[in-house]
This record gives sequence, C-alpha cells and structure tokens, in this order.
Amino acid sequence: MVIEFDGVGVTYPNGVRGLDGVSLTIPDGQFVVVVGLSGAGKSTLVRTINGLVPVTAGRLTVNGHALNGARRRELRALRARIGMIFQSFNLVTRTSVMNNVLMGRLHATGTPRSLLGWYSAADKETAFDALERVGIVEKAWQRASTLSGGQQQRVAIARALAQKPEIMLADEPVASLDPPTASAVMSDLQRINRELGITTVVNLHFLDLARRFGDRIIGMRAGKVVFDGTGEEADDSVFEDIYGRSLTAEDVIAKEPGALA
Amino acid sequence: MSLVADVSTPAGRPRKPPPSPALLIGLAVVLAITLWAGLSIEFTLAPLFTDLTRGKVIIDQFLRPEWDFLLRPAVAAAFLETLYIAILASLGGCILALLLAMLASKVSAPNTLVYRITRGVLSLVRSLPDVAYGLLFVAVLGTGALPGVLALIMFNIGVAAKLTGETIDSIDPGPVEAVEAAGGNRLQRARWAIFPQVAPNYLSYCFYVFELNIRASLVLGIVGAGGIGTLLYTLLARFEYSQVSAIVVLLFVVVFILDQLSRALRRRLS
Repeated sequence: MVIEFDGVGVTYPNGVRGLDGVSLTIPDGQFVVVVGLSGAGKSTLVRTINGLVPVTAGRLTVNGHALNGARRRELRALRARIGMIFQSFNLVTRTSVMNNVLMGRLHATGTPRSLLGWYSAADKETAFDALERVGIVEKAWQRASTLSGGQQQRVAIARALAQKPEIMLADEPVASLDPPTASAVMSDLQRINRELGITTVVNLHFLDLARRFGDRIIGMRAGKVVFDGTGEEADDSVFEDIYGRSLTAEDVIAKEPGALA
Repeated sequence: MSLVADVSTPAGRPRKPPPSPALLIGLAVVLAITLWAGLSIEFTLAPLFTDLTRGKVIIDQFLRPEWDFLLRPAVAAAFLETLYIAILASLGGCILALLLAMLASKVSAPNTLVYRITRGVLSLVRSLPDVAYGLLFVAVLGTGALPGVLALIMFNIGVAAKLTGETIDSIDPGPVEAVEAAGGNRLQRARWAIFPQVAPNYLSYCFYVFELNIRASLVLGIVGAGGIGTLLYTLLARFEYSQVSAIVVLLFVVVFILDQLSRALRRRLS
C-alpha cells in the first residue's frame, strides 16, 4: 500500500505542533526508518498513518483512502490492514500469548463472537503461523508476563502479523531492549518486510541501526522533514544536522569504540 | 569540645518553625464544633450508670442462650434465605457494576458526556444507604426476599462500579491503543484490553461485596426484606432474648467463617 503525505500538519489540542507541512510518498514494500530526537515528531508521523493521531492540516492518504475526516468504521477497516508495534510492547501481560496474538484477528471477528473469544479455526491457524514466523510458537499458551522483553516484542510483532497487514508501523520498537535483542528484533522486521512485501515504517533514534536496516531514512526535526535519502547518504554530518548537535555515544546502540567513525 | 558545647542553638542551622496559625485555628474550630454538637443533643453518659440495672433481666436472658432453638427448621431456612439473598444480589449487582464501571471510566467510556452522567448516577445511587433501599423496595413490593435482593443490588452497584471504575482509570493504556490500532471496536477493546487488566481486582471487589451483603441482608431483614434479619426482628418483638442471643452467636460464627473464606479467596487473587 502506498502512503502519501501532502503538506500534512498536526496540532495537538494543547497547541503543541506535532507535524508541520510534511510531504512524503512511501511506495509499496519500502523499509523506511524515521530518525530524530525525541519530540521531533517521529511518533506523531507514524501515528497519523493509522489515524491514532488525527491530521489537522494537509492531506494524508493510504492506498488512496483519505485519513482526514474518515469515519470510525472506515478508520477501523483501514487500521485492520495496518499492523503496529510499540516501544513498550503493549501486550496484555495477564493473559496468554495466544490471546494476545488473536487480538490481531478481532477486526475479522464479529463483535458477539469476539466478546466470547470464539475465534474461528482459520484465525487460530493464522495466529500460530504468525508465532512461527517470529520463532516463539512454543510459548503460545504461556502467560505473556512470563516472557522476556525481546520475546514480548516478538509476540507483539506476531499480533500485528496476525492482522495480515499490508503496512507495518513500529514506534521505537527496540528502545526498551538490550543491544543484541534490539538487532534481532530489527532483523525480524526486515525479514518480514522482505518475505511478505509489507511496507514498513520504523521510528528509531540509534543512527547505526537506522543505517543498517533502512532502505530509506527520513530525518525529522521540530515536526519537519529535514532529510530524506538512503542509508549511504546519511553520514554523520547529516545526523548532526538532523539532531542539531554533535553525535554522542548515546546515539548508537553498538557501544564498541569506532562505531561513530 | 566546641562542637558539642552549643547544642541548643547550633550555628547556621535553622530553628524549628512554630506551629502555623492555620493549624491552631483548625484545631480550635474542630473542638468548638464537637462541643456544640454534644451540647445540642444534650449528650450525657448518665444512662449508662442509672439505667444499667434495669437491663439486668434482659442481659440475664442474653447470657443464657437457648441453643435448642437453633435446631428448629425455621432457623436453618432463615439462614439459608439470607445466604441466597446475598449470593443473588452479589451476582446481579456485580454484573451490572462491571457494565457501569466501563461507562464510568475515562479510559473506556465512549465520550466525556457518558462518563460524567454515569459518575453522577453512581454517586446518586451511593448517596442512599442499603436500609433506605430496603424500605423503598419493601414499600413497593411488599415483604420477602425479592425487595431484599433488589435493595442489595442497588447497594452493590454503588460500591463495585465505583471501585472497578477507578481500577479501570489506572490501567496501562498501551494494550487499549494496541487493540485500537489493530482495528478493534470499543466493545472488543473493553473485552480484550481492559477486562483482563482489571479482572483480578474486579473479582476481589465481587467477594468484598458478598461479605458486605451477608451483613447488610441482616439489617434489611429487620425492615422486612426476608432472611435471618426478619426472624431476629420477630423474636425481639416477642422479647425472646434467649433465642435472640443464640441466633446472634450463630450469626457471628457464620459471618466470621464466610468473611474468612472470602478474604482468603481475595488474597489469592491479588
């Protein structure tokens, strides 16, 4: 699915400017990494795509469907085709992994049936498939709270995959994970993007991960797009420009010396 | 030596400030209101000493409980009726309370208007005590178990919906956002993102409400809403103090056991 921003602006009810005149076209199947300091509008950008944050100016279309003024039912139908994963995983930790993954099938289940948890056999099969794809199918009946952070994020990816999405959004998906797990989760996202051709938009603030995984890097500062190019083009001076300061060890996830070179 | 010589006024350290005038005025006001209230109702402890002997006959009867009375089938039936009333009311009240709690929290209510109205209705429901509901329903429906159950349901909604609603306020909003992002509708969010997070607390409130109901159904019985309270009231009216005391002792034991059971269950939930 193609995502098109045309002069998109977001002003929050409290007057804070989230996005300011953003124009972008994200073609089908691309792996896009959005970078910027916290507060630069990365999160807002990603959340406008599935309508979690309403657009207040300009025009945003996903596969030709306008998000501005979309009705609740239309918005739900669109969200069903867009998977999302979050920094803090957002699992219901008190219930089983399976129940969490099946939440990705709620959009395809009638309300009365879904209230009873009466999912179809096909939906359960989809959920198992999704768990297999992230390699934790053996945890299906465990409580989500018993899993490590990396495993919980994989369950969250499986939940998004169970939607059979055409777009995958990820809002700082590795910010709560240790460096090796972060790389592994990013590799999972990349593999899914390559294998299933799902358009992927990921927020990151680690420049080394951004360069390694992004087909395309979008730099944001103060709600505006200040860089749009490939990983090779995004050298340290570009990142210094995006961040508006010189780079520090905090900006990379790999802590070995020379990572900043 | 010079370090310890001047303990009373250590150099450079701030002195403890005097109590604030607001505190002193506040205490004086509390004292004045208490005195005024006591004088207004001509409060005195005198009857405790002057009239104590008059109650000696009653106390004597109380101290000789008529244990055989407890073996009568009417007593067992009355106890069971109280238990049934409490169970039915807890069940009905808690199910209604869960639905209302979803509307009484900003997290799950469809909009602020629904949330405000539900909160308002709930505080209105809570403003009447259980006995008032008992009197109300007995007046409308006549005596029996039904008005008792209905009165307790109203009382339970007030308690359980408020507590559950406040628990919903404090849940992790992340899963709710996740179900929303996955295209789930409001009911699906309530069922799969909110309910699992509040379920242990909610069940615990249900048991708590059950404990309250056992005790409240006693008082309700006195206003004619069935169960052991009605029996107790009849016996008091007949001055059968030995039988009353036997029932009170048994009541104490039964309530204590049910309380402990319910508390043990609640502890396992949290």
